[in-house]
Amino acid sequence: MNRQQRPSLLVPPSALATAAASRRSFLRSAVLGGALLGSPALLAACGGDDSGGGGGGSTKTVKFGVNEAKDSGPAYQRMKGFADAYTKKSGVKVSANYVDHNTFQESINTYLQGSPDDVFAWFAGYRMQQFAEDGLLTDLSDLWPIDGMGDAFKEASTSSDGKQYLVPYDYYPWAVFYTKSLFDKNNWQPPTNYDDMVSLADEMKGKGIAPFAFGDKDGWPAMGTFDILNMRINGFDFHMSLLGGDEAWDSNEVKKVFETWRNLLPYHQEDPLGRTWQETATSLAKGEAGMMMFGTFIGDAIPDAIDDLDFFIYPQIDPSIPADSLDAPIDGFALASAGQNQDAGKEFLKFLGTAEAQDAANAAADAPMIAANENASQDSYSALQLKSAEVVGAAGHIAQFLDRDTDTDFASTVMIPSIQDFLKNPDDIDGLTKSIQEQKVSIFGS
Amino acid sequence: MTVVSPAPAPVPTPAATTTPAKGGGGLMSKPRGTVAMVIMFTLSVIWLFPLLWAVINSFREYAYTQAHGYLSFGGWTFDNYRQAWEQGQFGLHFKNSLIITAPAVLLTLFLASTVAFVLARFTFKFNLALLGFFLAANMLPPQALLIPVFRMFREVHLPLWMSDSGTLLNSFWALILVNVAFQLGFCAFVLSNYMKTIPREIYESAEIDGAGVWRQYWQLTLPLVRPALAALAVLEVTWIYNEFFWATVLVSRGDKFPITSALNNLRGQFFTDTNLVAAGSVMVALPVLIVFFVLQKQFVSGLTLGATKG
Repeated sequence: MNRQQRPSLLVPPSALATAAASRRSFLRSAVLGGALLGSPALLAACGGDDSGGGGGGSTKTVKFGVNEAKDSGPAYQRMKGFADAYTKKSGVKVSANYVDHNTFQESINTYLQGSPDDVFAWFAGYRMQQFAEDGLLTDLSDLWPIDGMGDAFKEASTSSDGKQYLVPYDYYPWAVFYTKSLFDKNNWQPPTNYDDMVSLADEMKGKGIAPFAFGDKDGWPAMGTFDILNMRINGFDFHMSLLGGDEAWDSNEVKKVFETWRNLLPYHQEDPLGRTWQETATSLAKGEAGMMMFGTFIGDAIPDAIDDLDFFIYPQIDPSIPADSLDAPIDGFALASAGQNQDAGKEFLKFLGTAEAQDAANAAADAPMIAANENASQDSYSALQLKSAEVVGAAGHIAQFLDRDTDTDFASTVMIPSIQDFLKNPDDIDGLTKSIQEQKVSIFGS
Repeated sequence: MTVVSPAPAPVPTPAATTTPAKGGGGLMSKPRGTVAMVIMFTLSVIWLFPLLWAVINSFREYAYTQAHGYLSFGGWTFDNYRQAWEQGQFGLHFKNSLIITAPAVLLTLFLASTVAFVLARFTFKFNLALLGFFLAANMLPPQALLIPVFRMFREVHLPLWMSDSGTLLNSFWALILVNVAFQLGFCAFVLSNYMKTIPREIYESAEIDGAGVWRQYWQLTLPLVRPALAALAVLEVTWIYNEFFWATVLVSRGDKFPITSALNNLRGQFFTDTNLVAAGSVMVALPVLIVFFVLQKQFVSGLTLGATKG
């Protein structure tokens, strides 16, 4: 202890001499460090020089914020396709800022309030409306109507003030996926109503196959099942106003959704909380499970089985409610009001909404997404994409998915744990809905 | 208890220490030693298992592990490392980390040593209060300061050649500053405690020889606290290099992220190749591990530095 306390006493005179010698080297490195700190090269490195022409070329450059990391795969290539096509067409340089999807989403608040790019990739629905209401997005209503985009897309781009703040570029539906080989072998047909679905599920169970592949370790996959059950049981309008915060979560309607789900749980794979969606999709591809309620990006996890995949929209449950609504999240581009170059941004957005731009994106990568512009060419579409376009085109109503249709905090801090609690303990529906309602009131304020 | 007589304490002879006591009463007698070994071995296995598991799986193909499960054996490949390096743009982001870490560590040590020198060498009325202030600020969780720091940095305008966003946001300056600010308190505390152990007489004779305050600091104190500076430098390099939170808050340009934040580049919107992420994590952890093993001595002394107040 004493030695630790007084180390300097132990320094012999000779060491002081070497200390003096090394002082010189310390000085040298300090000077080096100082030079490093002050050198113009480093200053420039600290500032960055992505604007190419020295930051000033305002009319010739537009900044483009992309929610995909560079070189991260097809979704990135699509974005690059948009940027390259615009530069080629107009001669305007697109300075793209690629940030990985999850980081971009988690830091969207600081991004939009800090120093955002002009045009950035985002989502339709409530998630866009929140920012529009806070004044963080620029009104794009002068770009609408967009040739080739119907009312469903316009509605999804509209905020509470009746103005549009988004230019959609693609979407993908959520449906029930199955492998054609398994269905053909057993001569099964896609069910169209609840009773057919249950009897098909019973048959699968008899053969030792789990009827529904199911995993919710990631937190969000089970939201797709909640959405579709709510839309089938209570209808689209109730679903939207429930997620918008205008309905009570402890109502009989919501309880009925959870009760139906509880009755269906024996047809789902056990222990879903220990399974990621990728593992879930793998069990579908391997034939361990017969069906899976999921988005068309399911193929990312099972690329070898893509050609064997097919899907049907979730069967009707309540005969009085047509089975014509589904989740089909729409992605779009918006203009940040703090973006430095509003005019160039609008010009870029005008291009991004065209069929020409969306063709360029489709041509740049092999992704399961469908162009939002209906005039876009379908030549490059796979069978799954063609069917997606057909199903969504025929849909009466399109929802955006639970975490995009409601408050972000509500979705992530209330709904994810609540649904996971339900899957752990499906019998306490009264307690569950009561707890969701209490938390909903504290977040929405009513 | 207060025995004053300077009776010579029985010094254990080497023979006495090597022969274990018959009753097993020694601190590390054989049975106890075995038990300790077993416990330590179990604990280290528990700690190392997840790390080794990640390292092993970083050498395996995703398709193989997905088809056969992680308990299988096979599918060996080095491809994950190559792919992670390219897809994650690791070259660029390691460079970013260097640009942030090196100046931040140098600046922190310089500023902290000046503060510590004044606190240790001179007696002011507010000496203790100042040290307390530095320490208290160090205790604040960064999350609590997120919004004030963000707003403050947004208001600080920089010329475009320093930051292309026109403000402190989205620049390396912001990250260097914020890291320096958050590490300063700890370093000042450690260094001032260390400097207090330097005998006053040295300063008195220096003063008699005509050395001014600056000279006393630069030519006398700094060489004497070199061990402390070295230990702190090692600690600070690992801490600042590992910093993740501020980078994602203050920077929103993907090409400016340090390596820790860039690890997320390996995750897709929906799909995550866990083996690829494992390979990336191993690469990101490697510099810290190298620093630790090469400078292990400084590291350990750094952790106990200032633990005993002079």
